[in-house]
Amino acid sequence: MASEEPVIVVEDLVVSYGDKVVLDGINFSVMPGEIFVILGGSGSGKTTLLRNLVGLMQPRSGKILIYGENFTAMSSQERTQFRRKMGMCFQGSALLGSISVADNVALPLREHTKLEESTIDIMTRIKLELVGLSGVEDYLPSELSGGMRKRAGVARAMAMDPEIIFYDEPSAGLDPIVAAGLDKLIRTMQATFNLTSVVVTHEMESVRIIADRVCVLHQGRVAGIGTLEELENSDHPYIQQFFARRPDDQSTAAAAYAESLTGID
Amino acid sequence: MVALFGRVGRWALEQIAAALRVSVLMVDTMVWLVVAPLKGKGFRWRSSVERFVEFGVRSLPIVGLICFLVGVIIALQASYTLQKWGANRYIADLVAVSALRELAPLMTAIIIAGRCGSAITAEIGTMKVNEEVDALEVMGLNPVKYLVAPQFLAMVTAVPSVTALAMFIMIFGGWLCSVFVVGVESAIYINQTVGAIVEKDLLTGMVKSVFFGVVICWVGVYRGFQVEGGAEGVGRETTASVVASIFLIIVVDLVFTVLFYFL
Repeated sequence: MASEEPVIVVEDLVVSYGDKVVLDGINFSVMPGEIFVILGGSGSGKTTLLRNLVGLMQPRSGKILIYGENFTAMSSQERTQFRRKMGMCFQGSALLGSISVADNVALPLREHTKLEESTIDIMTRIKLELVGLSGVEDYLPSELSGGMRKRAGVARAMAMDPEIIFYDEPSAGLDPIVAAGLDKLIRTMQATFNLTSVVVTHEMESVRIIADRVCVLHQGRVAGIGTLEELENSDHPYIQQFFARRPDDQSTAAAAYAESLTGID
Repeated sequence: MVALFGRVGRWALEQIAAALRVSVLMVDTMVWLVVAPLKGKGFRWRSSVERFVEFGVRSLPIVGLICFLVGVIIALQASYTLQKWGANRYIADLVAVSALRELAPLMTAIIIAGRCGSAITAEIGTMKVNEEVDALEVMGLNPVKYLVAPQFLAMVTAVPSVTALAMFIMIFGGWLCSVFVVGVESAIYINQTVGAIVEKDLLTGMVKSVFFGVVICWVGVYRGFQVEGGAEGVGRETTASVVASIFLIIVVDLVFTVLFYFL
């Protein structure tokens, strides 16, 4: 994309749950205005990586620099301030179930700004319209369909006009048509606001539509980073297998499973 | 032997970690309830009032009914012994003192723990499972400020308020039973009641009930944040929450009873 300074730089990130190392020495950088996809199978650590990027988890070692500032070393107050530049869409949308869709979108505005209620009202409408959800303001999240909930989640993430947006499995659990609509929304958001977007997914179909660059995670390490064409020409066996949608070789998979149980190589 | 030491050690470490988490929660609650509003960071008054209605006003019918029945029961039980000496008028003393010092606060707290403590755990637990707690944090909204502080204020005011009414209702139950079943004269009963109660009885009951409210709220919230892994986790922690808060209510009751006994 552009040859500017990267927005997010991850350096030697190591994350563990207790003694189990989940991410082992992750390095990558995200450039401004690009859609950076973190791709990986189940258990590859991609959701853990995302939780570290937004500060919901602390890494064991390594650094995450956002706009050149060390995000991992910030105090919780500094982090709260810094988070206003970031928006996040959760896998299950994570809208607050007890308040209406409009109140959900308005929540960060009410908490962080001193805007008048009428202004907040207008801004909420604009954000909902942006994601193609006008007319559902007064519904409760439980009254919406899965796709609509995800769109409302995007609207809420956009409420504070962030510069970076994170999506956790945006198309998980949606039918192909709704999923494609969401891919298009991610593209539109990026194109309209020049949003730096980080998308965690395992869906090859949406990767082909949205990705500027892709980072493939495998067993807690980066298997490859690059544009889709670059990765398609990669000779890394896991990347080839993932892109070709080939199942694991049963015999080696069973052997690996036995190893993981016994701890003997 | 080594395994035993290992187990005890691990258990102790877990308990210390839990105690630490509880203390952090307590300090955080106080900060968001007292310090932050003074610094102009706001408090969610509306949410607190809504919670007060839920914990207090909506608990009234069931608390009232149960305390009325308990009043009737104590009066009858007391009469069983007292009438042997023709001392039925002392039912009034017994009902009044036990209602104020012990039974109204305790019954109220236990009912509210079952009704609302469990609801607090289930609500926060479900929000945690649905990543709503994470969402609050990512939006820069402190979950303690948003979820805990308003509930805490509501609970520590609702429990004493309901308790005060419960005391009255329990004494009324005792009066009704004594006058119409046992056959004590109404004026005598009322006189005895007024003579039996001192300020300290009321104070004991009210101080206790404030701390019962503290216990119910903190146990409920703590258990809610402990929820891991789906609906099953919510169920498990909700049960644990009710059991723990009833147990702790009794412990707090004992501590204060001992304290007031010697004071």
